[in-house]
Amino acid sequence: MAKWRHGLKGWLTSRLKLPADAVMDLPRITMVGQLHIYIENHQGVLKFSNEEVRLLLKQGQLLIKGKDFMLKTILPEEILLEGKIEHVSYLERPEDL
Amino acid sequence: MKEYIRELFSGYVRIKVVGSYTELFINRCIEYGIPIWNIKRIDEQTIVLSLYISDIRRIRPHLKRTRCKVRIHERKGFPFMVQRIVTSRGFLAGVIGSILLILILSNMVWAISVNGASPEVEHKLRKAAYELGIKKGKFIFQLPTNQEIQQELSESLKEVTWIGVKRNGTSYHFQVVQKQLPEKEPAADPRHIVAKKKAVITKMYVEEGQAKVKENAYVKPGQLLISGFIGKEEKSQLVPARGKVYGRTWYVSSVDIPLNSSFVTHTGESKTNYSFRVYGFNIPIWGFKAPDFKHYEVNERETNFRFLKWQLPISISFKHMLETKEVERTYTNKEAVDAALTVAREDIKDKTAEDAEIKTEKILHEKVENGKVNVKIHFEVIEEIGKNIPIVQGD
Repeated sequence: MAKWRHGLKGWLTSRLKLPADAVMDLPRITMVGQLHIYIENHQGVLKFSNEEVRLLLKQGQLLIKGKDFMLKTILPEEILLEGKIEHVSYLERPEDL
Repeated sequence: MKEYIRELFSGYVRIKVVGSYTELFINRCIEYGIPIWNIKRIDEQTIVLSLYISDIRRIRPHLKRTRCKVRIHERKGFPFMVQRIVTSRGFLAGVIGSILLILILSNMVWAISVNGASPEVEHKLRKAAYELGIKKGKFIFQLPTNQEIQQELSESLKEVTWIGVKRNGTSYHFQVVQKQLPEKEPAADPRHIVAKKKAVITKMYVEEGQAKVKENAYVKPGQLLISGFIGKEEKSQLVPARGKVYGRTWYVSSVDIPLNSSFVTHTGESKTNYSFRVYGFNIPIWGFKAPDFKHYEVNERETNFRFLKWQLPISISFKHMLETKEVERTYTNKEAVDAALTVAREDIKDKTAEDAEIKTEKILHEKVENGKVNVKIHFEVIEEIGKNIPIVQGD
């Protein structure tokens, strides 16, 4: 059932040109150089330290590494992180692997 | 920008949250719509974040649930700034100091204005007022009351008929009505000078007119002394008679003096108590006790404090107590007669003009009766006896 719905959403985005982040609950990530990273559609903060931020997403997690992190703004679905961003990566759920 | 202004105006705190589940705390805050920002990690257990003052209470349940402890790190924004300023000692001292200064200045004389006086009289008035203590920078409560000032000034200024004294806050206004000094006698109408009482003429000075009596003549009231007609009968001319006629006149005065009398005098001992009066309550500042004398007279003066244009319910009161003494006075017969003479002399002085002179005095009789001495005294006085009467021409 979940797989079927996932397929439908993929079709909607590819065929009807609907924005993927809206339809599929995917995070939209905006970066300004290494200074700022702006993440929409997150599901909460899992870990926050000066060098590492881990955010929960609908599917999997987002891992951001760098230096001198500071959460400038934090709202129910968006986060603005400031610092020196060095590394952004997705951690997928084991069952999706 | 908008956010920044809101932060400044509503005031916010930087708080330290300590616990193992600080991330959970952040998530719960977001979930419950408590705005937090500028989150920074200090160490494994501690984060620092900003929070509106109004939300401090709202985070309490979340702290409990996530087992975090909180400590306020910094206070920022206007509310705290105002609080800091208000509670700072310097600011407080400044506020108190300026209120005191205004209070002091509100109770000083700052302006003196004189209305309705000629420059000369104004100068004299200002000088007299200065001597009474009415000068710039003087405390109003040190000054006598308006009524006293009015009395003093009226007495010391002869050229003035009436002085109105008004105090308006910190300024004194003097309204002056000046005496209209008579102009140099205008060309007077023709007149005679006649005697106003019976007398024996002692001296005559005729300036204008014709003397009708001689020295040592006895005159009756209404008798012509200096005539306004001059010249020979055919060429007679009318003039205003001018001159002075002195005559010897007689008075008899009868005076009763009690042999025993009692009256109250001041002993010279006095005591002054100063006190503040606030809403009718007396707060003594100097002189707490009632004086040690038994009988005394009390003079009280009260002056209100002012603040700018407002009258404060605070006043300063001076209570001046003068010791009095009842004195019993007993005259011997001789002393009583002397006293009677003095009284009679005053009486004659009152009845006659200022330049009158008592020539002789003679006690006609004295009688002691019912503890009183009755003395009759005969006075011989030299005084001016002339009186002007206009000549009314028949045609």
